[in-house]
Amino acid sequence: MTLPDFELLRPTSLEEALAALERCGPDAQVIAGGTDLIPSMKQRLFTPRVLVDLKRLRELDYICSEEDGGLGIGALTKISALAESPVVVERFPVLHEAAKTVASPLLRNLGTLGGNLCLDTRCLYYNQSEFWRASLGYCLKKDGTRCHVAPGGQFCWAAFSGDTAPALLALDARVQLAGPRGARELSLAEFYVNDGVVRVAKAPGELVTGIRIPAASAGWCGVYKKYRIRQSIDYPLAGVAAVMRKTTDGTCLEARVALTGVNPAPKLVNAAVLLRGRRYDATLAEEVAHEAIRTGKPLRTSASTPEYRRHILRVFVRRAIEQVWRNGH
Amino acid sequence: MNKEPIRLRVNGRVHELSVPPNKLLLEVLRDDLGLTGTKCGCDDSSCGACTVLVNGEPQMSCLMLAASYQDEEITTIEGLAKNGELDPLQTGFCEEGGAQCGFCTPGMILTCKSYLEKNPDPTEQELREALSGNLCRCTGYTQILASIRRAIELAREGRKVEVSKL
Amino acid sequence: MSATSPIGARVPMIDSVDKVTGRGKYTDDLTLPGTLVGKILHSPHAHARILSIDTTAAERLPGVKAVATGKDTPVKYGILPIGHDETIFAVDKVRYIGDNVAAVAADTAEIAEGALGLIKVDYEVLPAHLDPERSMQAESDFIHEDKPHNIEKEYHHHFGDVEVGFAKADYVRDDRFDCAEVTHAALEPHSTLANFDPDGSLTVWSSTQVPYYLMKTLAATLEMPEEKVRVIKPLIGGGFGGKSEVIPLELAAAVLARRAGAPVKITYSREEVAYAHRGRPRTIVELKTGVKRDGRLTAVEARIIQDGGAYCSYGVVTILYSGQLLNAMYDIPNVMFDGYRVLTNKPACGAMRGHGTVNARFAFETQLDMIAAVLGIDPAEIRRRNLLKAPCRTINGLRVLSYGYPECLERVIERSEWRAKRRKLPFGKGIGMAGSHYVSGAANPIIRSLMPHTTVELTLGRDGAVTLYTGAAEIGQGSDTVQVQIAAAELGVDWKQVKLVAADTARTPIDLGSYSSRVTFMAGNATLDAARQARERLLAAAGLALGAESENLVWKDGVFARRNNPRPSIPFAEACRLACGAEESLKFAGTYSPPPEAQGGKYRGAGVGPSPAYSYSAQVAEVTVDVETGQVTVERIIAAHDCGKAINPLTVEGQVEGSVWMGLGQAVQEEMVWEKGRLMNPGLLEYRTASTLESPPIEPILVESNDPEGPFGAKEAGEGSLAATLPAVVNAIYDAVGVWITSLPVTPEKVLRALEEEKRRTSL
Ligand SMILES: Cc1cc2nc3c(=O)[nH]c(=O)nc-3n(C[C@H](O)[C@H](O)[C@H](O)COP(=O)(O)OP(=O)(O)OC[C@H]3O[C@@H](n4cnc5c(N)ncnc54)[C@H](O)[C@@H]3O)c2cc1C
Ligand code: SF4
Ligand code: FES
Ligand code: FES
Repeated sequence: MTLPDFELLRPTSLEEALAALERCGPDAQVIAGGTDLIPSMKQRLFTPRVLVDLKRLRELDYICSEEDGGLGIGALTKISALAESPVVVERFPVLHEAAKTVASPLLRNLGTLGGNLCLDTRCLYYNQSEFWRASLGYCLKKDGTRCHVAPGGQFCWAAFSGDTAPALLALDARVQLAGPRGARELSLAEFYVNDGVVRVAKAPGELVTGIRIPAASAGWCGVYKKYRIRQSIDYPLAGVAAVMRKTTDGTCLEARVALTGVNPAPKLVNAAVLLRGRRYDATLAEEVAHEAIRTGKPLRTSASTPEYRRHILRVFVRRAIEQVWRNGH
Repeated sequence: MNKEPIRLRVNGRVHELSVPPNKLLLEVLRDDLGLTGTKCGCDDSSCGACTVLVNGEPQMSCLMLAASYQDEEITTIEGLAKNGELDPLQTGFCEEGGAQCGFCTPGMILTCKSYLEKNPDPTEQELREALSGNLCRCTGYTQILASIRRAIELAREGRKVEVSKL
Repeated sequence: MSATSPIGARVPMIDSVDKVTGRGKYTDDLTLPGTLVGKILHSPHAHARILSIDTTAAERLPGVKAVATGKDTPVKYGILPIGHDETIFAVDKVRYIGDNVAAVAADTAEIAEGALGLIKVDYEVLPAHLDPERSMQAESDFIHEDKPHNIEKEYHHHFGDVEVGFAKADYVRDDRFDCAEVTHAALEPHSTLANFDPDGSLTVWSSTQVPYYLMKTLAATLEMPEEKVRVIKPLIGGGFGGKSEVIPLELAAAVLARRAGAPVKITYSREEVAYAHRGRPRTIVELKTGVKRDGRLTAVEARIIQDGGAYCSYGVVTILYSGQLLNAMYDIPNVMFDGYRVLTNKPACGAMRGHGTVNARFAFETQLDMIAAVLGIDPAEIRRRNLLKAPCRTINGLRVLSYGYPECLERVIERSEWRAKRRKLPFGKGIGMAGSHYVSGAANPIIRSLMPHTTVELTLGRDGAVTLYTGAAEIGQGSDTVQVQIAAAELGVDWKQVKLVAADTARTPIDLGSYSSRVTFMAGNATLDAARQARERLLAAAGLALGAESENLVWKDGVFARRNNPRPSIPFAEACRLACGAEESLKFAGTYSPPPEAQGGKYRGAGVGPSPAYSYSAQVAEVTVDVETGQVTVERIIAAHDCGKAINPLTVEGQVEGSVWMGLGQAVQEEMVWEKGRLMNPGLLEYRTASTLESPPIEPILVESNDPEGPFGAKEAGEGSLAATLPAVVNAIYDAVGVWITSLPVTPEKVLRALEEEKRRTSL
C-alpha cells in the first residue's frame, strides 16, 4: 500500500517545529515514531499535506529525575527506553509494566511516549483500508455520517487503546504542551476527551513536549494488566493500571485505578477512593471492581465482545488491586 | 510527486538517491537499492518481516520514511555475512531448520543479532520476548529457537562457516 | 548405498543459505526492465449485477498503460474440471466483497491506484447469501445460476448399515460442532510477474504451489497454446494450500502484460490475500456415534456443512475429504456421511493444510473423548480398542498398508506421563489426547489422465555431475532437499554433489504440484526410479570395464569394485564417463503413478480419499485454564507422527511442529470474522497468528512405520499432524475444568459460558 503525497519537514528544534506547524496550519501533522501514523496514512485515515518529523528534536528525548523526586519524560522518548529505564522500574513500576506491553519490541524501538499518548482512537470499522471503508460507506469518525457501532447516535465510541496513558493517569502525571501561544500543562484527565473524534484537548499547532510525574506518586506499588488475544503485537482490548501507597502494615493510604481500551479516553475509576485507609479486604477490592465496570463502557469496537471486555475488566481490576495491596514494593 | 535528494548509509555504503518524501525505507531498499532481502509481509506493520538494524537496533522499515533516516547506519540482511563468512546466526538457521520458507528469516535474524549483542546468553523466555515482534507462519518457532541456540554455541566456539561451505 | 547415506540425516535445506543471506529471490523480489505495476479493482458488494463499467477516465490518466475488464477475458476456469466457475474478472455478476472487477497496469503504484478510482462501475445490488445453513434454503438469486439452492455439491455415502450399528450400540450420542473459518496467512503475500516475449510467448514468475496447473490455466484463459506459456516458481514464502490453485492475480498480470506490451507485476496487499483466500471453510459437523460398553465403535453418522464461499475452488474435494477420511484412522464397521458444500457470498474457500479432514477430525476426536468420559474409559484406551488391523481396506475402500498410529499413541502416552497426569492434575490444569491422519498424495489426479503423477529426470554428466530436473514445487517444506537426498542415496554420492533444477515448466518435467502432501512420496519415488536406472547404467558400465557382471560389483566409499576384489576400482566420475560413451550426458526419466489397488472404490465420490499411504499422528496437549477469565494457556504439546521414514528428520520435525502450531492457532485464536459479508480482520494485526510468546514448546516424536511403497519407506509429514492438535487441546480443557467446548476457536468467552452452564447444571 502506498502513502499519500506530502511534504516532509525535519525541524531540528522545538522552536522550529512549532513555527512550521503554525505556518502550515491545519494541513500539517506531526510524526514521531510513525508507528501509529504511517499505517493510518496507508489507509488514508490521515492525508496531511505537510508532515513535521519530530525525530531530530533530541531535546525532547529524556528521562529526567527532578530535584523534588518527580520524573520528567520527554515526548520523543522511545517506549523501549521508557520500559528499560531503571528509575521507572524502581520508582514507577506501573509505568514500566505498561510500557513493556506496548505493541512489540520492534515497535517499542520506534514508538515514542508522545505518540503513545496522542494515539488515535481505534475501531474495527475505522482502522481499515480506504477500499474497505468505502465499501461500507465510511463512518462518522472519518469521511462518513453514520456510526456502525452505535448506529442511532452522533457519537464516536472508538476506543483509546494506548498502554502508557492509564499508568500515567494513575500516577497523576501532567502532560506538557507547547504551542504558538507558549507552554502549558494539563492533568491527563483534562488532556483526554471522551469522544472518539476529538480525543485530546490539544489546540491546533500544539505539541506534546513531555510529561511530569509528581514526586508524590513515586514509590507506589503498581501493576498493569492487559487483555489481548495475542501476547504481543496486540493493542489492549481492555487494560487496567492500579497503584497504591501503603503504610508498612499494609494499610492503603491512597490508591488509583485507571482503565484503557474500553472508552474513547483512558479513565480513572473514582471508586478507588473506597480503598483509602483500609487494610487488605478482598470484598472491597471486588466492590471497586464492580464499580469500575460502570466507568468502562466497551462497545463493539474490537475483536472481543463488549460483554467479555466488561467481565475481564472486573476481574483485572480486582486482581490488580489485590496485587498492589498484598505485594510489598 | 517531487523527488528529493537523500543520502542513505546502508551496509557501510553511502547511497545518494533521489526519492519522493513519501517513500518508505522498505521501498527504497527493495526498489532503488535492489536489497530485496528485506521483506514486506503486511500493510499494518504487524509482521516484522521488514526488520532492519538502525544503529544496531532492530526497527521496522515499513514504518520509516527513508528521508528521515539519512544520518543513521542501516544494516540489512545482506550486510550480515562478512568476507564471505556467514554470521553464526545464519549458520544456525541453516543447520537447525530456523528457515522454512525463509520469508520471516531476515527479520528474525536481524532482531536476534541485535539482541544477542546485548545479551549473549539468554534464557528461552528472554529469547521469546526478544523475538515477539517477528511473526513466523511456518515453524511454530521451535526450530527458530534451536537455531539461535546453535548460533550461540557456534559463536562461543568461534567456528566460522564460509558461505560456500554450507 | 554407501556408509554415509544421506537418508535419515539432518541435512540443511539446500536453499537455506539463500534464505539466510537475503540472496534468494521470491517473486516480488524480481523485476524486469520497464516493469509496470498492476492493481486490481475489487467489488464493494457481496452480491451484485454489473450493469456497466466505464474505464475511459482511467485509460486517459497519464502513466496508465493498460486496463482490463471481464469482457476481455470471459473464459471460465477453476482448479477442478467440474468446477470451472471463475473468470479472470467478473463478467456479469460480482459474488463477494473483494471479487475481481477490473485491473490497471501503470508506471507506478500510485498511478495505478489512482486509475482504479477512476473506473466507474454501476451495480445492481442483489440479496446476499451469507450463512451456509440459510443459503442452502434459498429459493432465488442463486449465486451461480446452475447451482440451485446454492448447493455446490452434496454427497450421501453409506457404508455398512448404520441403523444396525446404532441398534447394537450400548451408548449413542449426537453432538454439533462448529469450526470458524481460518486462512493460511502465509507470510509472503501472493505475487506474480508476467512478461510476453516479442514472439508472443508468455513467461510468468509466480508464488504458486502448482506451476503446471497455472501453465495450463494461463493457456486456457488467455487462449494460447500451452507450449507458449512458461511458468517459473521462484522461492515461496509459505503456501499451506493458499497458493495451490490459480489465483486471480496470476491471470490478471498476464492479461495486463499482453495489453500493455510490457512486463507487469502484481503483488497483493494483505487484504487482497484475504479476498483471494481459499482457506478452511467454516464447518458445521453434526456427528452421531454409537459404541459398545467397552468403547468399541459400532456406527458413525456425520452430517457436514461447509461454508464454501462464492466459487467452487477445491470445494468438491474438501467436502469429500471430510467424509471419506472419517475412515482409515479407526475400525468403524458402519459409516454414513451427508456432506454439503454450500455457496455463500464470501471469498472462496479452498485447500488448507489438512485439507477437508481437520474439522471433521476435531469433531470425531472430541466426541470420542466425550464418550470415553461417559463410559469411564481412559481416552488412550478407547483409542487402542478401535485400532485398525492393518494392512487392511476400510469400509469405504481405502487401502491402509503401513499404520504407525498404535506406536504414535504409545509414544505420547509414555512421554507425557499420561497415566500420572490424567485426572490427577489440580483443577484448572489438564491433559488431553487426540489423533489424526492424512494422505500422502491423492491416488487420483485432479485432471484424470494416464500421465504419471510426476516425472523426474536425472542427468549424469560425463564429468560426474548429477542433476535432477523436477517440476515439484518447493514451498518451504524442504521437498527439494528430500529429492536431492534420495538421488544422492541411491547413487551413493554426497548430497552436495546433486544439483537440482525445479519448477520451471519449460525446463522441468511435469509434476502436479505441492498439495495433498504428495511430493516426498510421489516425486520422491520418481526420483528414486530415475536414480535407480542411472545406478544400473553405471554398474553396467563399471562392470564392463572391470570385466564382471554388475551384480558382482559393489559401490562403496565412492568407487565401484568387484565384490571380493577391491582393486582395481572405478570412481563415480569415471563410471559416468564410461557410461556416457560418446554422449555428453545421459538422461534418466523416473516416474510415479499410484498403483491401481490404492485408487479406491467405484461409487460417486470414491476418487477422493484414496492415497497410496496414510500418515498418522497422536498428540498430547497440556493446558492451564484460568477459570475466572476463561483464558486457556497451552503449556506443551507432544506430537508423535508416523512419517514412514524420516528421510530428513530436521525438516520432518519442522513440518510436524509447524502443523501442530498452525492447528493450535485454529484451536485457540485464529478466526476470520465476518459481518454482512465483510471481513472484519483482513490484516495480520487483527487475524492473530501466534507470536513467540503464546506458542508453547512442541516436542515432535518421529515414528517410522516404513511404508512398503514409500521412497525408503517415507510417507507424508507436512499436514497430518495439524488436525489432532485441535481436539487434543479441547480434550485437555475438559480434563482441566470439566467442560466441553464444541465451537472453535476456544475463546475465553466460550470457556466461561460453558463453565457457567456446567455450574447451573450441577446445582440443579
Ligand atoms: C501492530 C501494532 C501494534 C501496536 N500495539 C500497541 C499496543 O499494544 N499498545 C499501544 O499503546 N500502542 C500500540 N501501537 C501503537 C504505537 O506503536 C505506539 O502507541 C507508539 O508509542 C506510538 O508512538 P509513535 O511515536 O510511533 O507515534 P506516531 O505514529 O508518530 O504518532 C501517533 C499520533 O500522535 C501524534 N503525535 C506524535 N507525537 C506527538 C507529539 N509529541 N505531540 C503531538 N502529537 C504527536 C501524531 O501526529 C499521530 O497522530 C501499535 C502499533 C502497531 C503498528
Ligand atoms: S465508533 Fe462509530 S464513528 Fe467511531 S470509528 Fe467506530 S464506527 Fe466510526
Ligand atoms: S512489512 Fe510487516 S511489519 Fe513491516
Ligand atoms: S519460515 Fe516461513 S514465515 Fe518463518
